[in-house]
Amino acid sequence: MSSLLSHEIGYSAPIEVHNHGFSPYVNNEGTSLGICGEDFVLVASDTRQSNGGYSINARRSPKAFELSNRTVIATTGCAADAKQLVEDMEQRAQYYVHKHGREMSTPAMAQVLSQLLYTRRFFPYYVFPIFAGLDAKGKGAVYNYDAIGNIECVSHYAYGSAAALLQPFLDNQINKAHQRGADTTAKPSRAQAVKLAIDAFTSATERDIYTGDWLEIFIVDSEGVHKLTRELKHD
Amino acid sequence: MAPLKPGEVSMGTTIMAVQFDGGVVVGADSRTTTGTYIANRVTDKLTKVHDRIYCCRSGSAADTQAVADIVKYHLALYAAQHGEEPTVKVAASLFQEICYQNKSTLMAGIIIGGWDKVDGPSVYDIPLGGSLHKQPFALGGSGSTFIYGYCDKVYHTDMTREECIEFVKNSVSLAMTRDGSSGGVIRLAVITEDSVERMFVPGNELPSQYLG
Amino acid sequence: MSPILESAAGFKFDNVKRNQLLSEKGNAAPRATKTGTTIVGLIFKDGIILGADTRATSGPIVADKNCEKIHYLAPNMYCCGAGTAADTEFTTSMASSQLALHSLNTGREARVATAMTMLKQYLFRYQGHIGAYLVLGGYDVTGPHLYTIHAHGSTDKLPFVTMGSGSLAAMSVFESRWRAGLSREEGIELVKDAIEAGIFNDLGSGSNVDVCVITRNNVEYLRNYVMPNERVEKEQSYKFAPGTTEFIVPKPPATLSGEEEGTAMDVSA
Repeated sequence: MSSLLSHEIGYSAPIEVHNHGFSPYVNNEGTSLGICGEDFVLVASDTRQSNGGYSINARRSPKAFELSNRTVIATTGCAADAKQLVEDMEQRAQYYVHKHGREMSTPAMAQVLSQLLYTRRFFPYYVFPIFAGLDAKGKGAVYNYDAIGNIECVSHYAYGSAAALLQPFLDNQINKAHQRGADTTAKPSRAQAVKLAIDAFTSATERDIYTGDWLEIFIVDSEGVHKLTRELKHD
Repeated sequence: MAPLKPGEVSMGTTIMAVQFDGGVVVGADSRTTTGTYIANRVTDKLTKVHDRIYCCRSGSAADTQAVADIVKYHLALYAAQHGEEPTVKVAASLFQEICYQNKSTLMAGIIIGGWDKVDGPSVYDIPLGGSLHKQPFALGGSGSTFIYGYCDKVYHTDMTREECIEFVKNSVSLAMTRDGSSGGVIRLAVITEDSVERMFVPGNELPSQYLG
Repeated sequence: MSPILESAAGFKFDNVKRNQLLSEKGNAAPRATKTGTTIVGLIFKDGIILGADTRATSGPIVADKNCEKIHYLAPNMYCCGAGTAADTEFTTSMASSQLALHSLNTGREARVATAMTMLKQYLFRYQGHIGAYLVLGGYDVTGPHLYTIHAHGSTDKLPFVTMGSGSLAAMSVFESRWRAGLSREEGIELVKDAIEAGIFNDLGSGSNVDVCVITRNNVEYLRNYVMPNERVEKEQSYKFAPGTTEFIVPKPPATLSGEEEGTAMDVSA
């Protein structure tokens, strides 16, 4: 490239395309789930972090977070991107408080999360979030997203390395899928949801090598956010 | 000259053999690797193929072990059928035949050293393509590239047994410290008409040299 | 890739090209069960101790939580296998039968070096396509012997060895604590710790520890010597009431008499 041309552009653009084999994304694996109740929501994640190989980066690296006193988020995918996304969300929530003098509603935050993800349509955050909280009437709401912001409001959802193991279990236990004569409209009680989350994760730990070490459960109800921790197997 | 297959155990090596009046000194480092992992830090790359004939192996561990085992078998059969010891030249020819005919599937660089009553001490080198070179001394393996200059400068034709041992120790030690694929201990064998004497230098007792 | 398309020993490579074509078109080849494994062996005062974890994986999924990776070869010899589960199983059972015939022919107990040579020559013939990574240990007339055998056919003879995906974790335990002349108890403890290092630090290894102690005239196979990963009790029962799953009572084809009726399936739990 001539020096003239590079002056015209205003910067010296690289002439050759170097392939350093750099990949901006890493899947840190692990599993997250969300369950919606009548007057509560629950999200749960294991805390093992790995990178798709046979080694463990960290045994206690949380991927579920408290966003406000009535919303929580559970992630999977790239842990670094997840951390950045959560910070973005916190910043947007703060900004809203300063601007409007009150906290953002849960459906509004769900929408903000979708828009944040779509902002990076062509260089996405490699994150698969499950967002949950109570709406203005105190009813539970669970949302899941793809990495570029497609949003869906659901009764329950599982993401991550053991999602394929957990989703059918939750479909069967919460939506009563394949259960003849069962009441398909009833939502799980809080105690029931906690039991399902624990059993889901102890079972996933048995069969998925990327899930394990510790389980963190966040429950949101009218009193605020409650956190439970449970030890999982370490092998 | 087949490349190393994925996951294959390789001996990125330093090996050498030197002739002196009355015998041969063969020497090698002791490192065997799979990628960056040292699978064996005390490997014996000096393999006996007959009473007074040894080979130094470099390249794929599997290939060189297989070749050495085949040659060992043929030399034993030769001795039984002819009622006399095979010469080093016979051993080297056998190695060459196998290495040359199977060059497309093998990754093997072999040095043969030994003593026989026809030629006395002799050293042969068979590099990757399967050619055969009779030399007063030979170097091989990835570490050898670092010491060709040193060896050419230090070697002289009328070295004594003791001088040869020191020469091999110093040369292999120098290669081991510069070549990441060589290391561990130095293994040596002095092959003469009367005996084969095995020696080794522990990794913490290598000859003194500049270490940075 | 142009593999040898003909083999005298029973394996056929005719479909390699077809499979490559299929995988290019998006039809992935079936995934073999790998024993992403920790296997170890060491020499102690009176013989050999072998150890293994018990997890078998298929990709990220645990295929078997309590499989056996220490295989029988001969009365005085056992062999731990890592790599492709089917390959380790068939390779060791083939070697076992050949060793039995060899013993019968010679009227002697087979030597460990014989087993090692048979295995390495077999694996070398298949140029690494048989993915068996072995730790071979035994006690014969010449004493205790311990070898590693890689899939490509190379062997190493050492006083302490590890293999599989957990081999680095296990080797770090051996390199720091192994010494010549370990007692039986010390040896078992060290093997257990090495396998546990693999179980807890390597995702390909898990569940329990199997141990095998081989001495001059005795073998002790300690299956599930320790079980540090037992499943916790579930929070609730997931038993379904009878009739939960819908089913159709199959009507058998009309018999000659045309009188017999289909009977309902017994659904009492």
